[in-house]
Amino acid sequence: MKEIVIALVGQPNVGKSHLINSISGATLHVGNFSGVTVEKKEVEFERNGIKLKLIDLPGTYSFHAYTPEEEVTKKFLINEEYDLILNVVDSNQLEKNLTFTWQLADIGKQMVVAFNMYDEFARQGGEIDTDKFYRLTNIMAQNVSAKENFGLEELFEKVIKTYEMKNTPKVYYSELVEEQIISVKEKIKECRFSKRFVAIRLLEDDEDIYKIIHEKPWFADLMPVLKKAKDILRGEYDEEDTKTIFFEERYALSKGIVTQIAKRARKETITEKIDKVLIHPVFGLPLFLLIMWAIFQATFSLGALPMDYIGSVFEAFSGWVGTLLPEGIIKDAVTQGIIPAVGAVVMFLPNILILFLGINLLEQTGYMARAAYVMDGVLKRFGLQGRAFIPLVTGFGCSVPAYMAARTLKNPKDRLITMLIIGFMSCGARLPVYVLLVSAFFAPEVQANVMFAIYIGGALTGLIVAKILRNVLFKGEPEPFVMELPKYRFPKLKSLLFDLWIKTKLYLQKAGTFIAAASLIIWVLSSYPRAEIEAKYQNTPNQAQMHKEILENSYLAKIGKLIEPITKPLDLTWREDVALLSGLAAKETIVSTMAVLYGEGNSNSKTLIQNIKKSLPFTAAVAMIIVIMFYSPCLAAMSTFWAEVPQWAWRLFYTVYPNVFAYFAALLAVTLIKFINP
Amino acid sequence: MRLNELSIGDSAIIKKVHAKEPLKSRLLSMGITRGEEIKVLKHTLAKNTFEVEVNRVPIALREEEAKEIEVEK
Repeated sequence: MKEIVIALVGQPNVGKSHLINSISGATLHVGNFSGVTVEKKEVEFERNGIKLKLIDLPGTYSFHAYTPEEEVTKKFLINEEYDLILNVVDSNQLEKNLTFTWQLADIGKQMVVAFNMYDEFARQGGEIDTDKFYRLTNIMAQNVSAKENFGLEELFEKVIKTYEMKNTPKVYYSELVEEQIISVKEKIKECRFSKRFVAIRLLEDDEDIYKIIHEKPWFADLMPVLKKAKDILRGEYDEEDTKTIFFEERYALSKGIVTQIAKRARKETITEKIDKVLIHPVFGLPLFLLIMWAIFQATFSLGALPMDYIGSVFEAFSGWVGTLLPEGIIKDAVTQGIIPAVGAVVMFLPNILILFLGINLLEQTGYMARAAYVMDGVLKRFGLQGRAFIPLVTGFGCSVPAYMAARTLKNPKDRLITMLIIGFMSCGARLPVYVLLVSAFFAPEVQANVMFAIYIGGALTGLIVAKILRNVLFKGEPEPFVMELPKYRFPKLKSLLFDLWIKTKLYLQKAGTFIAAASLIIWVLSSYPRAEIEAKYQNTPNQAQMHKEILENSYLAKIGKLIEPITKPLDLTWREDVALLSGLAAKETIVSTMAVLYGEGNSNSKTLIQNIKKSLPFTAAVAMIIVIMFYSPCLAAMSTFWAEVPQWAWRLFYTVYPNVFAYFAALLAVTLIKFINP
Repeated sequence: MRLNELSIGDSAIIKKVHAKEPLKSRLLSMGITRGEEIKVLKHTLAKNTFEVEVNRVPIALREEEAKEIEVEK
């Protein structure tokens, strides 16, 4: 069957994903663009005996790429194989959107334009004459509404027609600019792009194209002509920057064409009215905090409901698997190592889904941009961006979705700084550890205050570290904050559910692969060598005592004893070291490890608290709390970070610095306590 | 005068965008180009963050970015 590969391109907030979700009879694949963790959606469907394959490219304002996502789109359009560009345009913002359309038209590939959100536009009295648009630009266009599902079939008919006619855009700039394009074009010889495209990109200083071209043999001939052409443009337009000249040129073209093809809609006023309340100078911030609080309440109270159920399902599953496997190492590894650990991770799936539903709702309704506007003033002082608030607050729940939520930060530096301090927001899994230590070492009347201090202290330290990172490692101009505030829109249930389904699938995939493998390693390290000890306990069925002895002699304990000298200044012994190491698998396991090491086979938590109090000095407890506040998060979180950040240098930095920081923070606290209280 | 000197409700014509790349391209691609009318819809209490409108596109930007946009009332 004939196949047409279509690149789906458009500016942000034009409803591209709505469009993809509205295609009937389509199958979807989700993956990543190679080398980056930018989600890549591919949709395949059939019309008139032809297979159409749509590749959804990240929303892009222009070819002068600014965010990693825009980089992906540009690289794809320049380097990859595809047959046709389908450009989605928001009918309500024709002038702005069309400036990108002209840049796409420059490529010289076959192209079709979809004027999306036409329903809204028409309701406000707007009209677009697509036939006239075709006559003016030679680009076939269709008015569509992905939301109300009209125009899509006609759109695909036009896609097929354009493909079969090999119809390419004919978009021309003003005479003066065209003259320069032609003079540069003449010097361009063999090249895989259209000559016109290369000429235009070179005239507006596109470094990516420059890099591809500059090794060509004809490049030397081209340079003087290019320089002269640019000088002519600069003189005529009274503007030094040729990029700006082209932007103005395209904007003027948009305005000219819009007056010919469209009847303007009445101005929509609902958004302004809602904004009067939601981003009010005084009430905006409290309202935002209230909304966030509600989402977190839902995440952690509703999300907790199915936890026991999921836990018991995994327990039953583990039991069932146990009956299938013969007694021995493999059975123990699977039923005691892998399944419980994977279960512990899957248990957080409801939390993650609720949180993401909330975040998606904020994103789809258009509120997220407002939240960033409201928070920007506060976070700016710490070298962060307004949008960073979402991942940071998410970090109090769990670092895994927090790292993923950092994707809302478009600038790579902002995103990295934010991700580097997410671990300082104490996640939910650390709560039981704090509770254990605080109730053992602090008087009941101050316990709540200590807990509060731990959370606030962690967050404040995180913000200060962000400021330091910004000043030391990300020196230079602060990143600009310019953001479109999209219209408020009703979310579409189908796309909400669809996103959740994709999130679930990816999360479960990870739990089943990486986390299963990591937990197997930890289990092996904490359970071996065991043969001798098992033989010793063959006749005394004291399982708890046996496990304690296995753990005390395990490889994990050996590692603990190896690093004991380092943690000696913190008054920590190998037991605490092992507990903290096991906390790298999951923070909750610190408690269970302490229980094994100090519990003397007793499952009563009062005894555990008493024993810990007896055997640990106060300084060690403080050191431990501080280490837990700041050191590396669990493996699941770390692997998420590694997956999100492709650069090895940052992965390494992220893996090392929290531990160094935690060590010295704890050392400082211990020294202070000893100084005040010798 | 510069954009950050305007008050809520003021409109002005954009004269020049002084920002450096890549900010400049971003401002331009949002429609903040020479000759367009720009209106200040809102700003925060301390005038840290602004909400402006160009050709019906509402845009949020900081004082630092607003300073880079030359306008004439």
